This record gives sequence, C-alpha cells and structure tokens, in this order.
Amino acid sequence: MTNKCARRAFRIGGLSLIALSGLLASCAPVRTAIYATPDYPTWRRTTNVILDYPIPGHQNRFRIPRMNDVGFGAYPTTQSGKPRWDFPEGTVIVKEIYQTPKPAVGEAPIQLTIMVKAPNDPRAQGGWLWITRDLPNGKESVFMGNFCITCHANANEKHPYGDGNPNEEFRDYVYFVPGEGSKINR
Amino acid sequence: MGEGRRSFSLTFKVNLILVTALAVGIGAIMVAFAVSLVAFRNQLTIQSLMRQGDDHFVAIETLMISGNAPEAVGYFTKVNLTNAATTITLYRRDGTRAFSDNSTIEKVNQNLGLKRFQVKDRPPPPGMAMPTPRFAEAAGLPPQEFFFRDDVGSALTGGKAYFRTYRPLINLPKCTVCHGADHTVRGVIDIRSDVTEVVRAQAFSIGGAGAGFFAMVAILALVIGSFLRRVVLRPVQSIGKVCVQVTSGNFDGKVDLKSNDEIGVLARTVNTMVGGLHERFELTKYVSAGTIGAITAGQEPRRVVRTLLFTDVRGFTSYTEQHGPEQVVSVLNRILEKQSEIIQGCGGDIDKFVGDEILAVFSGDKAQSRACTAALRMVRLCAESVEEFEHLTVGVGIATGSVIHGMVGSMRRADFTVIGDSVNLASRLCGMAKGMQIIVCDAIHAEVGSEFQFKGPFSVRVKGKIEAQRVWLLTGKASGRSP
Repeated sequence: MTNKCARRAFRIGGLSLIALSGLLASCAPVRTAIYATPDYPTWRRTTNVILDYPIPGHQNRFRIPRMNDVGFGAYPTTQSGKPRWDFPEGTVIVKEIYQTPKPAVGEAPIQLTIMVKAPNDPRAQGGWLWITRDLPNGKESVFMGNFCITCHANANEKHPYGDGNPNEEFRDYVYFVPGEGSKINR
Repeated sequence: MGEGRRSFSLTFKVNLILVTALAVGIGAIMVAFAVSLVAFRNQLTIQSLMRQGDDHFVAIETLMISGNAPEAVGYFTKVNLTNAATTITLYRRDGTRAFSDNSTIEKVNQNLGLKRFQVKDRPPPPGMAMPTPRFAEAAGLPPQEFFFRDDVGSALTGGKAYFRTYRPLINLPKCTVCHGADHTVRGVIDIRSDVTEVVRAQAFSIGGAGAGFFAMVAILALVIGSFLRRVVLRPVQSIGKVCVQVTSGNFDGKVDLKSNDEIGVLARTVNTMVGGLHERFELTKYVSAGTIGAITAGQEPRRVVRTLLFTDVRGFTSYTEQHGPEQVVSVLNRILEKQSEIIQGCGGDIDKFVGDEILAVFSGDKAQSRACTAALRMVRLCAESVEEFEHLTVGVGIATGSVIHGMVGSMRRADFTVIGDSVNLASRLCGMAKGMQIIVCDAIHAEVGSEFQFKGPFSVRVKGKIEAQRVWLLTGKASGRSP
C-alpha cells in the first residue's frame, strides 16, 4: 500500500514537473538567432558606390552594405523579358550605419540594419526579415512595422540610387544587386 | 459564544444563498458576456475603422506619390464633406496643416530647379485644428502608426468619442527628387472617426441589461422568499410552536398542514409523535414509574433489594357500608391522592393501588429512611386532616429485603411489580398496624435506628413465617430531626 502510494506520488510529481517545465518553456522569451555573424565584416560589399549621400531613414550617415555568399550565389531570372531577382533563402545583407557621412578609419558603426531572406518566417515582410541590431548589447530585433519594407519596395521601381532601376525590374527589395549598376563584380 | 450571534431565519439564509448565487454566478457570466460583447464590438469597430483608414491612406498616398497632391486634397475634402463621422487631415512633419500655404510648392520648385507647380491662393481644407502629442512619435524615427481613442469629454454626458489613427507618409526615395532627401517622414495623415453614437448605444445596452438583471434578481428574491416562507418557514414555525407546547405539558396542539411534501410528512410525524407522547403522559398516571422504566429498559425479571411500604385505610369497610358510593370514592381518592403526593415527594414509586391499599416501592440511596419519613408524614397528615378524611386513618407496614422485580401476569394483561418474602412481610405488618400505627421489620430498624424513634422490639407471628418476627413501632424522628 505504501509502495503504491509512493509510486503514485512519484508519478504525479513527475507529471507536474513535466507540465511545469512545459509552462516555463512556453513563457520563455523567443530568442532570435544572430544573423550578423561575427565574420560579417569579411563579407563582400553589395556595391562600390560610396553611400554617403542623405537618404530617408538613414539621413546623411555613411553606409556599407555587405552580403553573405548565399546572396552572392543568386542570379537573375527573366520574367516578361526583364531580369528578375529572387535572393535565395538564407541570404543575409548587413548594412553598417556610421555616425557621420565621413567616418574616420577604424571607426565603428553605430547601428546594423539587417535583411534576412526567410520567406517562411511568419514575421517576414516581402520574404525578408527586417532586423536591427542594438550594438551595445548585441541583441538583434525583428522590426515589425512596415517602415523598412515601405522604403525598400521602391527598389523594385525607378529610384534615384545606383543605376536607378530604369526598367523597373523586380530586385527583391534590394537597391544594389550585384552587377554593373552596383559597380561590383561577383 | 453562540448566544451573542445574531440569528437569521431559514428563509433569509436560503434566499441569501440563492440571490448571492444568482448575483455572483449569473452576474459574473453576464458581466463576462457583456465585457466580451463590448470587446468584440470594439474590435469590429476598430477593424472597420482601420480598414477605412487603410483605404483612405492608400488612396491619399497613391495620389500624393504620383505627384497629384491637389487630387489628394480634393479626395479628403470630399470625404470630410460627405461623411460627417470621418475627418481626414494631412499634417506636415512639423505639425502644420498641409496645403495651408505654398511652402511645399515653393520647396519642390526649388529642388527641381524650375517652376513646375504654380503657387495658389486658397483656404486650407477642412479638418482637424491641432494634432495630439502622439503626433511627434508618429512623425519621429522610426515613424509609427497609432490607432487610439481620443474622447472630448464623456460621450454619455454630451461629449464626443473618437477613434483616431495617425498614418505617417514616408519620404520614399522616389519622393526625394521633388521633396529632398533630408527627411524621412513627409507628413502624417490623421483620420478621425466619430464613434459617439456607438459608445452611447453600447452604454445604453449594457445599462439596460444590468438594470434588467438586477430587477430580475430582486423579483426572484421576492418570489423565492415568498415561496420559502409559505412552504418551509411557516410550517417549520408551526411545528416548532407545537413542540414548545408539548415541552410545557400541553398536548392539544396539532400541526395543521395538508401538503404531501417532506415538510408535510414531517408535520404528520410530529402530530403522531405528540399523540404518542400524550398517551404515554396519560399512562404515567396509571402505571408505575418502575413499569415505565422497565418498558424502556427491558422486561427481564431481576432480583433486587427494595424497601416496600404498604398503607391501608382503617375502618374503611364499615365506612363504605354507611356512606354512598360517590362519597366513598371521593374520600378514598382524597386520602390516596395525599398519600401519593407524600410517597412521590419522598422518592417512592407507587407500584399499585389495591382498593384502599397502596403498595409503594423505595429504591436507591437511603430508601429505608425515605420510606419511614413518608410513613410518618402520612400519619401526621391523617392527624391533621381528621375532618377532611372523615375520621379515617391509615396503618402502615414497612419491610426491606430482596425481591424479584419483573413482569407478572398474562400476555394480555400484566403488571411490572415486585414479589417476594419482603413484599409479603410488609403486607402482613400493614395488616397488623392499627390506625396511625407504623410497623417496620427488624431490618429497617437495624438500618435507620439512629434516625427515628422506635418502640419495641415486639415479637409477632405472621402468616407464612414459621418463626416469630422481631418488629418495631415507628413513632417519630429522632430528636432534633423533622419528619
């Protein structure tokens, strides 16, 4: 009888522990993966255009966009006689934002804005996660507003940057795609 | 501790529980339902207004981006004029009204380096006067959308209730050609929807439902209270009243209840019980306490030590020959009544009346002493009541010893009485005693000799005994003791 009670108590205790663990796990904050990996400064730039001119959203701050090799593996397809860019899932573009239009050599950026191609992520807008990194603590947060995509949607139309996308190609929300317009070779 | 507590009636308690259960249980469900209904209605209103806001925003943004600002102005001017509940206002990022002057046209012309747009002399379009403090956040970096409630006073007391949305217009790269790239937000579209009537209707429906609920609870409380009073409380009070009457010796009361429910069954049971109690009470007048006790405790015969007191009225036979039956019965009853009172007063139990004789049984502590005291009181009573007892007196015989206590008789009629040598001896001593004499056996004298005055011993022969018996004449209490 005593053993039976003990077994029952053990079973109830075990189930309670599992339930509690599940509850705690469900309450735990969702951790976002770090997309701008420590080696990102070695990634290639998406353009050799000097981005020191003012643009809405980043003012006149100096910017350097870099993309991982997954992104550089993308090639445009043709749709309705026009090139169409669809970056593969896993593409990461990190844009370093500096304090001034002409940062000193070795000066650290003040902010990173990151595009991650993740079309299956429910937080994705236009197939991309729009992320900012808080540099002091290294945390990356997905931006849930539509501010980023609203501006970047203009990359698929005529715009005033780089080659200006005169043929209104679909460039997958990226202003500088590899090629002549970006003054960069693969 | 319990005496100080206030007592509430059963009806009050049951009513309180029911009404509380109604108010708390159904009330909580109603409140939850009302809250969810209000939330759902709010959600619908908000979704509807947000969709309207989206539509307006897309329309205005499309017109503005394509450089057709005048058409955009015309659009929301028309909306403001045709839809009294909706007001659309466009603010520049610095909070001033768009199209209120020509500064934007001049700036665009300057950026383009040509006079593409003509300055105009026109009044500002209708719309809101001033933006709220949230405007700064909407036009800040990053620009944010806001959807919020912006009431002016209370909608229930003549004020206005509004839902309001701030939608920032981003200075898109393609806009920078005309407007410059030195800012992120072109302006903020403010869409304000008047929901005063919705809020009032909601408050009215909630207030009406709440009032209806409380009215229903009050009516139910009255109905249930009245029902409980009629069905439970009054019958219970009636039963209680009968019980109180029985406690005070009045067995005439009956619970007058015709219902066949549990209370009715209880009432009939109480009536039956009261009838039974009445019968038993009446029976105690005719049956000895020993018999009743035996019925209660069991009817098995047992051998016990008892003190037996016999009394007999002297000269009664000749009295009956000289007087009528009513007078005989009357005087006999007076004598027996007074003797009974004395016996019971001394803790004796009248076993039976046999004509003018009484057999009383004394048991327990100081049984012999109490029997002697009773006998002395009877003799003194006779001395004091010569006229009342019409010169009739009693002779008393007392004996003590082992007797058999048990049911004696047939299956149809039996007495629970005492039998044995001591009973016979007491009867014989009573037979020997003359009027006003008390004869006791030697065992009595041995037990209470110091408490009473005796004369004797006398040696007497009694029927059924071979040897002569030592007996004593009880004459009074020992000096210093009162009978």
